[in-house]
Amino acid sequence: MIIDTQSIKKVIGKSVPDRGQLIMILQNIQQEFHYLPKESIKAVSEYLNIPQSTVYSAATFYKSFSLIPRGENIIKVCKGTACHVKGADLIIDQLDAALGIRPGQTTEDMKYTIEVVNCVGACAMAPVMIVNNKYFGEVKCNRAARIAKKG
Amino acid sequence: MKIDTISKLDKWRKECHKKQLAIKTKVLVCLGPGCLAGGSDQIYEEFLKILEKKNIDNISVESIKKTGCHGFCARGPLVVIEPQGIFYSKVKKTDVAEIIEKTLLKGELIDKLLYKDPGTGTTYTEWRKIPFYERQQKIALRNVGQIDPDAIEDYIAVGGYAALAKVLKGMRPAEVIEQLTKSGLRGRGGAGFLTGRKWATCAKAESDIRYVLCNGDEGDPGAFMDRCIMEGDPHTVLEGMIICAFAVGSTEGYIYVREEYPLAVVNLQKAIDEARNYGLLGDDILGSGLCFDVKISKGGGAFVCGESSALMKSVAGEIGEPRAKYVRSVLKGLHDKPTVLNNVESFANIPVIIEKGADWFASIGTKKSTGTKAFSLAGKIRNTGLIEVPMGITLREIIYDIGGGVLDNREFKAVQTGGPSGGCLPAAKLDLQVDFDTLTENGSMMGSGGMVVMDDQNCMVDVARYFLNFLVEESCGKCVPCREGLYQLHNLCKKICDGEATDDDLRLMEDLSRTIVSASLCGLGQSGPNPFLSTIMYFRDEYMAHIRDKKCPGGVCKSLITYRINADCDGCMACLTVCTSDAITGEKKKRHVIDEIKCNRCGACYAVCNVNAIDII
Amino acid sequence: MVNLQINGKNVQAREGEMLLAVIKRLGINIPAQCQHEAIEPTGNCRLCMVEITREDWGGWKKCVTSCLYPVEEGLIVETHNDKLFEIRKTILDLQLARSPHSEYLQKMAEEYGLEKSSYPVEPDGDNCIMCYACTRICELLGKSAISPTQRGHNKIIAGPFGEAPPDCIGCLSCAHICPTDHIKWNDEGDIRTIWNKNFNLITCKKCGGKTITREFADYLIEKRSLPPAYFDLCDKCKRHETAIKMGSLVIKAREAAI
Repeated sequence: MIIDTQSIKKVIGKSVPDRGQLIMILQNIQQEFHYLPKESIKAVSEYLNIPQSTVYSAATFYKSFSLIPRGENIIKVCKGTACHVKGADLIIDQLDAALGIRPGQTTEDMKYTIEVVNCVGACAMAPVMIVNNKYFGEVKCNRAARIAKKG
Repeated sequence: MKIDTISKLDKWRKECHKKQLAIKTKVLVCLGPGCLAGGSDQIYEEFLKILEKKNIDNISVESIKKTGCHGFCARGPLVVIEPQGIFYSKVKKTDVAEIIEKTLLKGELIDKLLYKDPGTGTTYTEWRKIPFYERQQKIALRNVGQIDPDAIEDYIAVGGYAALAKVLKGMRPAEVIEQLTKSGLRGRGGAGFLTGRKWATCAKAESDIRYVLCNGDEGDPGAFMDRCIMEGDPHTVLEGMIICAFAVGSTEGYIYVREEYPLAVVNLQKAIDEARNYGLLGDDILGSGLCFDVKISKGGGAFVCGESSALMKSVAGEIGEPRAKYVRSVLKGLHDKPTVLNNVESFANIPVIIEKGADWFASIGTKKSTGTKAFSLAGKIRNTGLIEVPMGITLREIIYDIGGGVLDNREFKAVQTGGPSGGCLPAAKLDLQVDFDTLTENGSMMGSGGMVVMDDQNCMVDVARYFLNFLVEESCGKCVPCREGLYQLHNLCKKICDGEATDDDLRLMEDLSRTIVSASLCGLGQSGPNPFLSTIMYFRDEYMAHIRDKKCPGGVCKSLITYRINADCDGCMACLTVCTSDAITGEKKKRHVIDEIKCNRCGACYAVCNVNAIDII
Repeated sequence: MVNLQINGKNVQAREGEMLLAVIKRLGINIPAQCQHEAIEPTGNCRLCMVEITREDWGGWKKCVTSCLYPVEEGLIVETHNDKLFEIRKTILDLQLARSPHSEYLQKMAEEYGLEKSSYPVEPDGDNCIMCYACTRICELLGKSAISPTQRGHNKIIAGPFGEAPPDCIGCLSCAHICPTDHIKWNDEGDIRTIWNKNFNLITCKKCGGKTITREFADYLIEKRSLPPAYFDLCDKCKRHETAIKMGSLVIKAREAAI
């Protein structure tokens, strides 16, 4: 997938060229394109005047970033302690059965990506699923697939 | 309108308070994380929608307030009507019209929405009397669930920024630090370092630049106290930071918020913008000459960035690898300058300590752990939610009197405190006092305040494996003991869960843990083996069952259990629909059968069976 | 001057010195894989750990990495004891599991009685011990072509996307500073290959020998404001030419004097 560098630069340009903005800039790019396109590493490095390896290090160190294209719908399953104790694994297994993918994977038709998050702070409603930034609490495992597909 | 003098602030406060009093009835709709997950934002919208069209005496859209977490998450979505304190729980969007018609218009209570204590059968009309709330004492959470976090006037009306005014009017920086030291406040993020001493060290350090940082990373899974403060009362964090800036001599501050909390970022940014608009942040605050401004710095998804030196690296736009802290970050922190880093909850306490005085604060809690602590109750506990209690309260009181005991009346097995750096305490330890030192002396730690309750259907070896897996994923990878040590420790723990371990493996784990604890570079590694060490201390018999008998007493470890359908099966087909390995066969109304070879022990059938027809052997 | 005690001996050190420098000066041998005089210490390997205490600590001790701990007045230091031996042995044990083929590690491990790792070995494990010497020297040079990527056990030193690093100039500093020979490079004919990147080696205009990469030369010319033709001759031929020039100048001066 080739992304037009101009559109990447437009997103980058929204931030001040300050080194401390590195994570924020990468987040803005990911929000726009659903992942970090390869071209964005060089573009950010030029904008902030830091080595490409530094930008790439940050993109791979912080787990909220994806360097591979993600699906249209991002399904996040919380694996915090409370959610684990209340059956987060059951949700993951049900999603695998329904969509054929495990966390970190995307369906072939690029419709769904499953990711695991380490606690989103809604522990009282464990187990929690987030579909496209919408929260679902107390998810019973037999509802998981339906929630993922309906969103 | 710039509030550039203290007298203008006082005048504004009187106006805000008057406006609040004019609203005879307030309807508080909780938009805390739990209630939000239950759709409370739609309930809020529904109230506004109906009231925009309908005219009711004394009730208008101004009466409807969205608030942060009210606390009793297990009963959410919550709607609270003040001043009566009417507490409606498990509210649905379809109940809103009835609440308006019956309660707001006619003053009638809707019975089905009132809270009924499952233990005593008592129905409560007023939330303050409910045992869950009655035993709490709110300082850091005083405004959360009571005010609209987006409205600075709400904050002003309840006394917001009065502490700042008091400081700027008549206190010297050294006096502020003295009050803080006298109060005995210890860092609420987990380390429990004396806040006053930290500020004093920073103030004394020779430098032209100092920074004030707020740690909003809250990476401990199971903890959401800081999230609720940042979302529900963002101005209190700002006020605490400004007072700190005055005390230590700083002009620049950052709030580091983890990436998983986008709403906290939104609410904090709104509060910062509002504070700037009114001149409470920026140059010459309240005409005192103090200049201080705050920016938000977002995390990228890394638990290790809750560690102070890693956090500062992240703020500076680098990867969050901690450094050896032989020179403390209070002297050489962000950009190598003296930096105060305090937790969200610590800052939330500051305005109250200043207003009510150090002696008042020190009179609460215990001698060495003064004040209160916010906790998030989660896991197999009936009353999941957000609470704040005086230090020194026992685990039993929290879990049973406030928490309502174990969910579904099952047997209590352990309570996990302190996140991945903490440990699991068994039933025998329920009468321990909760404070910084007692829990540490008993093999756990208070940590940031997450408390996860486990019952007899949890496996403590699996819990240790879960935490070790978490730490392996979150390790920055810089030093050998953590990167390689925790990796091997986790693998060995998994071996136990799979029923493939020997006594020698256990001995190797204990030896390895010693090195990881002594030799790791940062707190993540140094406390990394704690999940294993605390569970082996109190639940050795479970480990031995896995190793010697190849059995999992909790019925969790997949390699060691079998699922079997018993005679109670009513043939409802529910388990068939969720089976992930096509292992269940059966017809409607006929007893189903699990093919034990095909079965992958995912547990879905057990979770959906309503008649207890599935045994875990 | 700062007074402290190391292994029971009273020692003096300069203010601001790290313990490791003092320990080495005393001729005490402790392992320190990630330490190198050319670069700032990072404390990655943990092998240089020592146990410290003070008289007023009531017997309480703490383990610190000597490469990063500054000397303090009144500090009492132990460089070898059972606890430290166990720490060093365990670290090498863990490293051997990940890098079973490293002769460097095997040799070090022998001193601690370790023939092989107590943990399941990674049969294809490479020899990288994640000491960061290569990234530190590359950063010091001003290039930062390679860096630590990923996190935790998956951490790997590489260029962006594991491909030929755009900023690498083929100077070989990383390969030379690497203690375990993990970084491979190859010179064949005119081409140097390192980090999956090919470079053209400069040929000396006089003797035809290969010197450094064009990229490295250009980097030095810019950084040190050298004449563009500076690297046209190799060092040996340059010295030879200079000697001839100097020689002819001396002859001219003598002739002028006569």
